[in-house]
Amino acid sequence: MDHGTRRPQNEPILYVCGECGADNELKPKEPIRCTNCGYRIMYKKRTKRMVQFEAR
Amino acid sequence: MAPPAGGPVSPHAETQRSHKKSGKASASSAKGKSTGSWDDEDATREGMRHHSDMMLDGDSGDSDPEGLSHAAPLYSFSTLERQMTAIAPSPSEPECPDFTDLSAPHIESFNALFQMQGEQDDVGLLTYAIRDVGKRVFYDGFGVPQEDANAPPKSFTKGDAESRRAVLGNKLEIWFSDVRLSRPTLPDSSLSATPQLFPSECRERGVSYKGRMQVKVSWRINDGQLNEVWKEGGGVPVMIKSAKCNLHALPPTKLIQRHEDPTDLGAVFLVNGIERLIRLLIVPRRHHPTALIRPSFGKRGEKYTHYGVALRLVRRDESAQTITLHYLDDGAVTLRFSWRKQEYVVPVVLILRALEECSDRDLFEKIAGTPANRRGASKGAADPSAASDPLSTHTELLLRSWRDTPFSGRCRTRAECVRFLGERFHVMLGTDPGATDEEVGKEFLERVLVSGDSHGADTSERFEMLILAIQKLFLLASGLIAQDNPDSPANQELLLGGFLYGGILKEKLADWLDAIGLQVGVDKRLLKGKTPVNFEDAKYVTRLFGRPSADFGRKLEYFLATGNLVSNTGLDLPQTSGFTVVAERLNHLRYLSHFRSVHRGAFFAELKTTTVRKLVPEAWGFLCPVHTPDGAPCGLLNHLAHKCQVVTRWVDSSAVARGAAELGVRRATPLEPADPRVTVPVCLDGKVLGRVTPEHAQRVRDVLRFWKVTRQRGIPLDLELALVPLSDRGLMPGLFMFTSPARMVRPVRYLGLTRIDSNSGKRVPVGDENRSLDLIGTFEQVFMDVACLPRDVVPGVTTHIDYNPTDMLSVVANLTPFSDFNQSPRNMYQCQMGKQTMGTPVLNFGYRTDNKLYRLYTGQSPIVRPKLYDKYDIDSYPNGINAVVAVIAYTGYDMEDAMIICKGAHERGFGHGVIYKSEFVDLAVEAGGMRKGASTKAIPFHFGVSSNVPGAGKRGGVDAKVMNFLDQDGLPHIGTKLSDGDPYYAYVDETTGAVKVVRYKSLEDSYVDEVRLLGDETGKAPLTRVHIKLRIPRQPVIGDKFSSRHGQKGVCSQKYPQVDMPFSESGIVPDVIINPHAFPSRMTIGMFVESLAGKAGAMHGMAQDATPFVFGEEIDEESGQKVEKLSAADYFGDQLQKAGYNYHGNEPMYSGITGKEFKADIYIGVVYYQRLRHMVSDKYQVRTVGPVHNLTQQPVKGRKRAGGIRFGEMERDSLLAHGTSFLLQDRLMNCSDYSQSYICKTCGSILTPSPHPPSTMVTSRRERVTCGTCKSSKGIDTVAIPYVFRYLATELLAMNIKLTLDTKS
Repeated sequence: MDHGTRRPQNEPILYVCGECGADNELKPKEPIRCTNCGYRIMYKKRTKRMVQFEAR
Repeated sequence: MAPPAGGPVSPHAETQRSHKKSGKASASSAKGKSTGSWDDEDATREGMRHHSDMMLDGDSGDSDPEGLSHAAPLYSFSTLERQMTAIAPSPSEPECPDFTDLSAPHIESFNALFQMQGEQDDVGLLTYAIRDVGKRVFYDGFGVPQEDANAPPKSFTKGDAESRRAVLGNKLEIWFSDVRLSRPTLPDSSLSATPQLFPSECRERGVSYKGRMQVKVSWRINDGQLNEVWKEGGGVPVMIKSAKCNLHALPPTKLIQRHEDPTDLGAVFLVNGIERLIRLLIVPRRHHPTALIRPSFGKRGEKYTHYGVALRLVRRDESAQTITLHYLDDGAVTLRFSWRKQEYVVPVVLILRALEECSDRDLFEKIAGTPANRRGASKGAADPSAASDPLSTHTELLLRSWRDTPFSGRCRTRAECVRFLGERFHVMLGTDPGATDEEVGKEFLERVLVSGDSHGADTSERFEMLILAIQKLFLLASGLIAQDNPDSPANQELLLGGFLYGGILKEKLADWLDAIGLQVGVDKRLLKGKTPVNFEDAKYVTRLFGRPSADFGRKLEYFLATGNLVSNTGLDLPQTSGFTVVAERLNHLRYLSHFRSVHRGAFFAELKTTTVRKLVPEAWGFLCPVHTPDGAPCGLLNHLAHKCQVVTRWVDSSAVARGAAELGVRRATPLEPADPRVTVPVCLDGKVLGRVTPEHAQRVRDVLRFWKVTRQRGIPLDLELALVPLSDRGLMPGLFMFTSPARMVRPVRYLGLTRIDSNSGKRVPVGDENRSLDLIGTFEQVFMDVACLPRDVVPGVTTHIDYNPTDMLSVVANLTPFSDFNQSPRNMYQCQMGKQTMGTPVLNFGYRTDNKLYRLYTGQSPIVRPKLYDKYDIDSYPNGINAVVAVIAYTGYDMEDAMIICKGAHERGFGHGVIYKSEFVDLAVEAGGMRKGASTKAIPFHFGVSSNVPGAGKRGGVDAKVMNFLDQDGLPHIGTKLSDGDPYYAYVDETTGAVKVVRYKSLEDSYVDEVRLLGDETGKAPLTRVHIKLRIPRQPVIGDKFSSRHGQKGVCSQKYPQVDMPFSESGIVPDVIINPHAFPSRMTIGMFVESLAGKAGAMHGMAQDATPFVFGEEIDEESGQKVEKLSAADYFGDQLQKAGYNYHGNEPMYSGITGKEFKADIYIGVVYYQRLRHMVSDKYQVRTVGPVHNLTQQPVKGRKRAGGIRFGEMERDSLLAHGTSFLLQDRLMNCSDYSQSYICKTCGSILTPSPHPPSTMVTSRRERVTCGTCKSSKGIDTVAIPYVFRYLATELLAMNIKLTLDTKS
């Protein structure tokens, strides 16, 4: 069930700001606040891994 | 070929015209106007265009010169225009003002709290509310020290400041002088680019949308210097799109920027991210005495009869007080009111005398008129002779009974009466203990007998109002007038959300003032001799004000979140819960219906009588006769007709009073006879302006009506002019005028501005006919002559005409195509099903966090649609699919309302949809028991899959398989498919270093659609809350429910291969097959017509107008007049023929299986189908083995817990009747709680045998089992029993009942 390449463990995960769309890097325990505009909601990006399902 | 144009225009005439123009098919008119295809007048707006097609004398349209010049417009789908607005939304204008106005009553009522329409700047209902809350006066009790503590307190002369202070001590006066609410903002610490807080953020984060409230508290000590301080009132939920919302008046472009749906209705409050709405409630009409005959009145006490007159008085701040006058059998009248949920009864004469200085004779003449005058009047009139005059008889009795009242001797003058009232009601009102009886009495009259207009109003107005109510009561008691119907909209108005919200806030403010008083009381008793009470000490006062919680916002939030009203006064409402509902976004129609729904009140839901639910003719044009649910809330939950408005303006009614005075209405003088057969009262908002003769009243009404419509002399358009004519034992006659808000009104056209031309015999406009708009109220409509259609106009009688016959229907009911062809219940069902359809609930899916959101992937614009479909821009929210429907009994899979879907259509996307499910994951909750909003710092968890805690060892990481689903942040990949048991998210326990992987638990697979990381508004909180949205695809499967727009629902029974489906000569294969048996008993002819129209529309590439009341049959009326209306069958038949189809919509078809032609032609056409939200995937329940109940060992119930379905008594009966009782053994024993048990045959008990080692069930043969009572293991055997039987035996044992089994026989 391992699809495609695994993300290297040390690569930071980027999140999209809900207001200005800027990419934000967030480490655990870091406040949720956009560095660009100060907005408080972030969206996770769609995974870059191959997403493949059995077609029926 | 033209679709019928707007208004009651004869389609016949239109078609004739187009016939003349060209014999070609309808494509010829494609050159015509492509937009604004029909004239849709909007009567609600000022400067309304004159509707040229409107005819008044029922003359045909083709002789109308203006009508001919109209190029026959093609009813287009406006695809290009729609795309343009989608690409470039308007930066200034709202996209569809007609639609956004639907929530206007809610929003305007909320805005009125801060700024009333028609008042000067910054004067809102709250301004009046705090004025009405008034001052509270407290004393510290430090008077002049008394020598002897045990001596009775010195008496003091109330009102005398010196002596009062000597006894009561220092005086603290405290009141509110201002209330402010600011728009929701972020705290400064948030470091946000924009300081405003927007609703979309609250929705996404699941928090409340609140603005900051501040109140200005003023106080004064011993009438000294005025002190003021601003206090925080907490965060108050703000209505979205109101003046206090950051979205107020934003254009579509800005709304989209703020992540909103550009046509959002607003009017809701966001409470914890959920949109909640205050329901519109029906309440009795204000300032109008309602005559009631209720058997329950007679049971109130001795002497009480069942006659009463109720009067709902409303203060300037929209809070209400109902008073009821009761008629007693000795002729006395008592006034009943309730105050802080306590009932009080006062003789009405006492109140009257306290209001006005009057002798018995004055009172008698006020109520019954002067004998001299009556004699004078009786000369001409029918003979209301003095002897039989009921008013004077009753009045005499009233005055005599007052003589017998014990305290009447103490109440001779007005001052005495006021003092008496003050003395009796001092405690009830809780006023200043130092106030004199006179002051309290005045306050009593002020508060209880709320004046109609504003405080400090003329007491004589209230006196006259009471006199009128008494007259009505006497007339009712003597049988001269009929009772009013409290269930008729004529006697009702609405309670608007904003007003209720303000009322609650007002009460909470008043409670705070009272709490200050309680606090002073507590402090006084504290530490005898060393009380901290010291009003002069600023510190003490500050502390005092800080003591009771001033968080009014929290209380309002509770009200909105639960709908429960926590109140000491009850706010004059009969219910305490159910005030708010969630504005569900199931689909667009469901959503908009919430804002148009009107509830009768929870109290009436329990009532056994059904009279309140009846549809009354008075509701015409105000409440939709079609749009009410069937079942429990039927008739209690109604919807406003789409043209119905609710008045939210406060107009200056003095112009009306002046106008009436000009027309000869003068303040009633005792010299005028009060008999309704001679003179009738003229009232304005409950104030009696005077008495005039019935004929005079009619003249006044007519002239005022003319002035009103032509906006002369400042007479407002909101004026309601209800003239109740003189009748034999009918309603009490009079001219009752209202200008008050909260009334339902509707636009109609006034015909007084037209005259019949002597040359042509036609009706021609006089003056500016564009201003013929009149707003009529529920009460006046009953006594008006309003024609519905031009042919209903009776010259010399009819004064008004409906703009459109469809005005009486609600928005949703109007969307049913050709609803005039259907049997009425079918239209009701469609109103229900339209609201359960899987459609397009919102346009901003990416910013919604609703629990569950249904979405139809391939929604289409219906080919057949009523005009209002475009008026309200429903096209932005498609709700179904145009399906080719054949009506044929084919394969048998279409029996009993089942329908067959063509597999080809299914594969092309027919009815495909998706459900979005949302979940908020809060680590504070995971951490156990922590309440939401607890400090985030304290949570020892964070999202992730690996911990850096040293020594965590193996626990500090997760399985490699888990990483197929989760990222390093512990949250799922977007796009991952989740099945039952898959990792969902993971978090790290910082104290132990363990990683907890939470798994997805649902039988249905889903895909991760969105993951949202939520901060808090300070912008400092680390990640503890996450929102995960899952996408569950739902393509149609067998068992899903579909329906047409005619209340014809059915379940998909088979997806039939396209090759096996029947086909027509042109090769068309139906998408849906339904059974012909669905029609005869249900009589949904509208569906046939829709099928025809849809087919013709599809062939000619145009939308079809399906507005009801446009088509008809040619009817010869009794008068011999020929009413020509084209029949729908002919109109669409012609179109079909031109497209090369059979005129009647039938076609020869061939079996897909044999290839043979069917013996009959098949009715096939295009019908708009809705996919309903009821899907088998949410409902199927199957179980073989599964969880059992702990106590009974029987299977548990509930689909969620994989439980079984109860095989109950009736099912048992059924099996017995079938003689298949062995099935019972299987169902009730083997498949349920079969168990084996030891039994002692000697004593017959199943409880006494005890095995060693102990166990309740038979485990193995080798155990040693002995009977506890027989002390032997001789008679031990095993039997099969239901496990609950053992439980029963134990329960009986506990009650000392022995249960013995007879094992012998």
